[in-house]
Amino acid sequence: MKWYPVFLREMLLFRAKLFRLGYIFSSMFVPLLYLLAFGLGLGRSVRISGGSYLEFLLPGLIAMSSMTNSYNWVASGLNLGRLYFKTFQVLVQAPIPPSAIMIGEILSGMARGLFASLMIIIVGIVVGKGAFLTPIFLAALLLNCFLFSSLGVVVGMITKSHEDTSTYSNFFILPMAFFSGTFFPIDHMPTLLKGIVLMLPLTHTNILMRKAHVDAGFIISAGVLVIYSILIFLFGASLIRNYSE
Amino acid sequence: MPEGMIRVEGLGKDYGSIRAVDSVTFEIMRGETFGLLGPNGAGKTTTIKILTTLSKPSSGRAWVAGIDVVKDPSAVKPKIGVVPQENNLDRELTVHQNMFIYAMLHGVKDKHLKIEEKLRMVGLWERRDSPVQFLSGGMQKRLLIARALLSEPSIFFLDEPTVGLDPQVRREIWDTIRRIRARGGTILITTHYIEEAEALCDRVGILSKGRLIAMDTPKNLKTEIGSHVVEFFKDDGSLKRVVCKSKEEAQRIAARVNDTVTIRRSNLEDVFIKLTGERIER
Repeated sequence: MKWYPVFLREMLLFRAKLFRLGYIFSSMFVPLLYLLAFGLGLGRSVRISGGSYLEFLLPGLIAMSSMTNSYNWVASGLNLGRLYFKTFQVLVQAPIPPSAIMIGEILSGMARGLFASLMIIIVGIVVGKGAFLTPIFLAALLLNCFLFSSLGVVVGMITKSHEDTSTYSNFFILPMAFFSGTFFPIDHMPTLLKGIVLMLPLTHTNILMRKAHVDAGFIISAGVLVIYSILIFLFGASLIRNYSE
Repeated sequence: MPEGMIRVEGLGKDYGSIRAVDSVTFEIMRGETFGLLGPNGAGKTTTIKILTTLSKPSSGRAWVAGIDVVKDPSAVKPKIGVVPQENNLDRELTVHQNMFIYAMLHGVKDKHLKIEEKLRMVGLWERRDSPVQFLSGGMQKRLLIARALLSEPSIFFLDEPTVGLDPQVRREIWDTIRRIRARGGTILITTHYIEEAEALCDRVGILSKGRLIAMDTPKNLKTEIGSHVVEFFKDDGSLKRVVCKSKEEAQRIAARVNDTVTIRRSNLEDVFIKLTGERIER
């Protein structure tokens, strides 16, 4: 439980931000914009795999939002804490193991990702499209939050300035949000592009989230996510362990 | 086991091609207040960062409470309290929240009791529910000190504790540091204020460009260069200082100057100028 104060601190910071008017609105704005523009605009004239486009889009938006929110919370928190506010020093100088910092930060990123997901899930339920909420979906969501929180640790620890964080977002996170099956199925992509897309972790989150039952595809995608998660987690943990100013 | 609570041997730290700390060696005894004095960029903060497990040295060794800081940093952490030069409080959290998280991180028993005690000690108990960003600079510094006291460590590191504070607040901080000393704490303090080093420190080490160039009690350092200084303006308008061995010598020199002359006791600034040819406070 040495990780708990690290996690609690992040949650107190999150609560302080929540009280600031507009924070929830601005963090909810992008997924709601996509929902309105694609789901209700484009969606009325498109049907995918036998269902409405909105039914296809909702899990994708949740995959995307949980990714960006988990990642951004941890990456910018660590980046600013290291380089600007220096609050990371307090954690390093405390008598807790590096793994406690790692776990506390990742859990806080997961909480942030789940909070953003919950907003979209509520919208889904309100519009009567809550059928995607299966145990497989929830397990995939948790794994996705874990993976991108871990990635947030890696980026938060290696960036040399705060601008770097948005560079990584623009070149890695944002393209992944568009090409990994969030807005359209990857089945009909050109082979080369599909090969690249299948290497992206978010693609497998999207595949898992839309699985109704366990099959071979499920096992492959789950395996890819778990392997990515473990590798990124270990890399992030070593960055924290070897931290030196 | 020797009494040395902080020991540094041939310590060095490179940042790329810059040598921030260069073969520094010193030892601080139990209950001693030791000052590292030097201009900005002399290597004071880097030395503190190494001793407080934030930074790994490039060469040499360092022990805190007899424990090697590189080999066993986790054993050093419970023994130290750090007041950093740059405020590292969570500005969006309240005074009490900052104290509470720190108390949890350090496994402090009777958290609420201790938090109240330390906040009252620095006069911030009434402000406990204020977000830190609404506190003045002096209050934030006092909060940093209160926070470092929470785990009741025996060894304190204070990095430029009064930089940027007005004189009255500076004296309040000094009083707090004297109280820590009165409890028997071992203190390493860095400063580029001459007055601060003279007011607080039992011994002073003078750092210049990463090297420790002198180390002794303030009194001995001053006696060594000369007890008095004569200051007067030369014809070209520049300030001339002459360090003298005695008051009598100073008066003899002063008598030969036609212009306004000041005779004063020598201070650590004079020591630094004598050793390096440069000033500390710029």
